[in-house]
Amino acid sequence: MRSPSPSDLCWNVRFPPEQEWIEEPLRIAVGHLWERANHVARSQLGDEALAPEIIEAAIEKTVLHLQTGPPCGPDEVELLLERSFRQEMRRLRKANNRLIFVGSNQELTSGTAQNPHARIDSAIDLEGILRDVPSNVRFALLLRYSRSRWSEVAVVLGTTEAAIRLRCKRALDRIRKKLESENHET
Amino acid sequence: MTEKSFSPTDDENDTLLFEKLQEHVLAHYPNPERKGCPDPAVLKSLIDDPGNITLDALNDLHIFKCAECTRLLMELRQKKKQSGTSE
Repeated sequence: MRSPSPSDLCWNVRFPPEQEWIEEPLRIAVGHLWERANHVARSQLGDEALAPEIIEAAIEKTVLHLQTGPPCGPDEVELLLERSFRQEMRRLRKANNRLIFVGSNQELTSGTAQNPHARIDSAIDLEGILRDVPSNVRFALLLRYSRSRWSEVAVVLGTTEAAIRLRCKRALDRIRKKLESENHET
Repeated sequence: MTEKSFSPTDDENDTLLFEKLQEHVLAHYPNPERKGCPDPAVLKSLIDDPGNITLDALNDLHIFKCAECTRLLMELRQKKKQSGTSE
């Protein structure tokens, strides 16, 4: 699939008629940020593919801010998007640096060491895979897990099927990759 | 227009992926003591009234690491499907 364009990234945002003014400056701001976001995601997080997710989260924050305030000009929209982008990058960097240790060495049995291929060892750490995914994407994935169709998820979230699938695509790709590699190993 | 799958081997609802994921959770994450499970009523709401459920109430991604919750979700989904057909 081709990479999403800045316009694609705005798919998930819907505006009531009185707030349609937000759409155009937002698309322009996303267009200006797009190249740099790819570069920053690559250099700071080691994965350019994270850029769309980060921008999407920044778009949501920006839109939320704009919807609750008075109309403003394109420069201010750009500044707001930039600020939200930096916040999202900080959040992801923190998440990547956090190491979580669960349990203690008391819980390690000799069996674990003797049997490196124990069933639990091959379990996919979905929390780890989805740790840096925005909360609304996590919720969408849980919704899809509890029903059969993306169209039903889209109705619950008040968006389009295409938008929700695009938002979840990267997370799904990661899960698919892990499941496939696990299948190859077993 | 028909939506195409992001994966060449799956359908437009990523059915295969979610089936595999479900199987994986059932096989690898037994939780007989139901540690960290949301209340069954929350899972019922996730099926019946998802608009009123929050990620916090679901204990974030707990369901993806819990065979018991996954099993209960499957049962609830089945019941809902059956009640939908009988109506």
